[in-house]
Amino acid sequence: MTTTRTIVAALAVAALGLAGSAAVAHAFEREAALHEAAKKEKEFTWYTAHYNSETAAALCQGFEKKYPGVKCNYIRTTAQVAYQRLAQDQKAGIAQCSVISSTDQSHYTRMKQDGWLQPYKPKNLPELVEAFRSFNDPDGLFTATAAGLVLITYNTSVVSPAEAPKKWSDLTDPRWKNKVSIGHPGFSGYVGTWVVQMKKLYGWDYFKKLEQNKPRIGRSINDTVTMLNAKESIVAAGPSATTLESKAKGNPLAVVYPEDGAVLMVSASGIVKNAPAPNAAKLFMEYLLSREGNEVMVQQHQDPVNKSVKPMAGGKSIAEVKTIRPTAAEIEKGIPEVKELFRETFGI
Amino acid sequence: MRERSYVVWLLLIALLLLLVINPLARLLWASFQHPETGAFTLENYVAAYGRWRHVEALVNSLVIGVAVALLCTVFGVPMAWAVSRTDMPAKGLVWAAVLGTFIMPNYLGAVAWILMAGPNAGWLNRIYTTLTAAEAGPFNVYSKAGLVLVIACYSFPYMFVFTRSALDLISSEMEDAASTLGAGALRTTLRVTLPLALPAILGAFIVEFLEAIALFGTPALIALPARFQVMTTMLWQMFEFPPRVQVAAAYAMPLLLVTVFLFWLQYRIMARKGYVALTGKGGDRRLVRLGPWRWVLLGYCLLVTSLSFFMPILVVLQAAFARAWGRGFSWDNVTTRNLRFVLLEQTATRAATLNTFVYAAAASVIALVLALAIAYIVARRLVPLGRALTYVAMAPFVIPGIVLAIGFYAAYTARPLVLYGTAWILILAFATRFLPIAYTNSDAALRSINPELEDAARILGAGRLLSLRRIVAPLLRRGLAGAFILVFIPATRELSSAIFLYTTGTQVLSVLLFDKSDEGNFEVLSSMGLILVVVTVALVLVGFRMVGRDFLLRRTAT
Repeated sequence: MTTTRTIVAALAVAALGLAGSAAVAHAFEREAALHEAAKKEKEFTWYTAHYNSETAAALCQGFEKKYPGVKCNYIRTTAQVAYQRLAQDQKAGIAQCSVISSTDQSHYTRMKQDGWLQPYKPKNLPELVEAFRSFNDPDGLFTATAAGLVLITYNTSVVSPAEAPKKWSDLTDPRWKNKVSIGHPGFSGYVGTWVVQMKKLYGWDYFKKLEQNKPRIGRSINDTVTMLNAKESIVAAGPSATTLESKAKGNPLAVVYPEDGAVLMVSASGIVKNAPAPNAAKLFMEYLLSREGNEVMVQQHQDPVNKSVKPMAGGKSIAEVKTIRPTAAEIEKGIPEVKELFRETFGI
Repeated sequence: MRERSYVVWLLLIALLLLLVINPLARLLWASFQHPETGAFTLENYVAAYGRWRHVEALVNSLVIGVAVALLCTVFGVPMAWAVSRTDMPAKGLVWAAVLGTFIMPNYLGAVAWILMAGPNAGWLNRIYTTLTAAEAGPFNVYSKAGLVLVIACYSFPYMFVFTRSALDLISSEMEDAASTLGAGALRTTLRVTLPLALPAILGAFIVEFLEAIALFGTPALIALPARFQVMTTMLWQMFEFPPRVQVAAAYAMPLLLVTVFLFWLQYRIMARKGYVALTGKGGDRRLVRLGPWRWVLLGYCLLVTSLSFFMPILVVLQAAFARAWGRGFSWDNVTTRNLRFVLLEQTATRAATLNTFVYAAAASVIALVLALAIAYIVARRLVPLGRALTYVAMAPFVIPGIVLAIGFYAAYTARPLVLYGTAWILILAFATRFLPIAYTNSDAALRSINPELEDAARILGAGRLLSLRRIVAPLLRRGLAGAFILVFIPATRELSSAIFLYTTGTQVLSVLLFDKSDEGNFEVLSSMGLILVVVTVALVLVGFRMVGRDFLLRRTAT
């Protein structure tokens, strides 16, 4: 069984590899001209909340290798801080950041309203996984460049695969009392989206029941990884990338793709209107959608957004997994609402 | 002569106003400003204090602040006395452990404590259940008591250092007088020695209290999972999208009143007594012989430093050298990959390391010069209303770093003084933030010098500045070296103000560390923490060498 699957997977990779290399050979239209223009700008700054700093650093290195002569500076923070910094810059009229990558959807709506972004429709757009295209701005002000899943995670040294929860509603089972870890929607865009989705699936009752299990509440969704590694909690609603990365190091972790659906997070990037390096910014947007860029993401255990790049062994491709996700409007309206509900139910 | 010194005082006061009053005035102004229209309003105060949850968080902060300050006194004062005045053995070790504690960033210590005293899997609880076959261990870091203990572990060094430098200055003549009159060693210590150090202890108590209520990192790691809020975590929520800076400003304002009250209290207590103990050279200091009790005292010192330093650093070391720290201790789990990654591959770390120490040093010098000048002006009553300057110098301590950063941002991104984007905004913010430490220390040091020494010089014709340079400065040298270290170390690990003020090229280690703390990558976080600790220790030791061994080991007179 496993062998058959491996062979099928290998064939699929090979076939896609061929298709992919054809795409690379064609680089996108006017790539060289854009590279030349970007070189004149020398460097650009990227505020990003999409990944951890290792991934941001690896992407910058990959970009500099592909486009020599353009330096990529990243400032990796959480989404709220990234937005706050950009807001500071904008109010002070300071041109610092060229590309912004937040994980909070409402930031983009607000930035669009406030006129902080400039339109650019990347030439590599056809490479983007179809399912993610609906997250692009129709006016081209922002484009989906990162994806991830919220799923069930557990510590394998305490929980066997058979015992592990299979669906979201299992987390409210009393046998996980004092052993569940989650993040806080007030800190993390991932957690906020997950809470909105759970409320949509099971109503707010889900969290009232979860409260009976006295979950350990961290800030970021990544805090669940620390809790599981410390065995302070043994099951969690955690992120795909960070958990798989920690597992790859040898930590006793595993992920479950919930039967009722892994929560899909798609996050966009946009070019800032007063970008000091607009051409480098455009080139970088192309890179985030390119094969090379996505291969770097995969090496860092991120889910690719380029449709011809396959995820690393151990993780499933988003296309194979049952995913669920609230609509953009539901997120926007829902997050402030669930933050308030969450505080009432959990007291913080 | 008199005019020349006046110009200097006025210039320094102007700098103080620029650093403290300008950002605070902007905040005060913002707290009355309507977020959209900018019109005058009281709505922000209603939004900030109109909800029980917000008030409760403030009450939690005040209770925790007092508890931390008390616990720090219990930890710090006996240790300071033991190191300064007794024949306790292994003083070097105790001092080194206190220094290590002080250098360790509190958020790093908090993560280590979660691993030690997590209710389900903390090492201490596992050891306890193994030994007693009990169901669950008694330790729970996720509680108010847990938070108080962890904060106290990383702030008691202030108490230790303040008290110790005061005790170092008290000559044995006072104690001799007491013993001559028949008092025993214990009675002498409690009735003579410690009361003489009271100004320093009170100053440290206030600093501990303020430090505890302004801290963000540790409460974010412990209070949230423990299901309660404190003022700083509440403030953080006010900066969520959409940020409500005006409400945050309003929420922070009443804390200024608390500070003013504390200093008024200190003033009232001190005003009734004389504490001048240093009256020139001489005044031999002898150690109290404790007999077998010295081992008890050493045991106590080691217990406290085990909680604050030895056990947590073990946890950090394990993680820094682990392939996967979740697997625990085993030889095949050991690697230097994390350290190599941090030192060699991640270019950001190297630049940030350099920035961290350069900024911290520059900020310390600025804070110290300013603090000393203000303390001197106040102590010698050189300008009218000098006492008000004390409040100004101490005010930054109650302003949580995040809010101070916003104030700085508001003040120095617009003309006439654009500092945002340069290293200066970080340096000045650090200097402002730690001005109260520099001030408390300078003030305590100055109070212990009898003004008669200067008066003598001035009667002989020296001007104010000359007598400062030739009489006061040499007497203060050791105290100031201590104050420098006390500002320098927290500046190397300062997070909350840095996080909103750094830009590309001006990143510091604390920011990189904090970003790591919510990335779930504890191996790399620990490696960076370890680098910060090791480099700071090395620099501080070099500093001690330059100041003279005095400061570290010998307790004899200046």
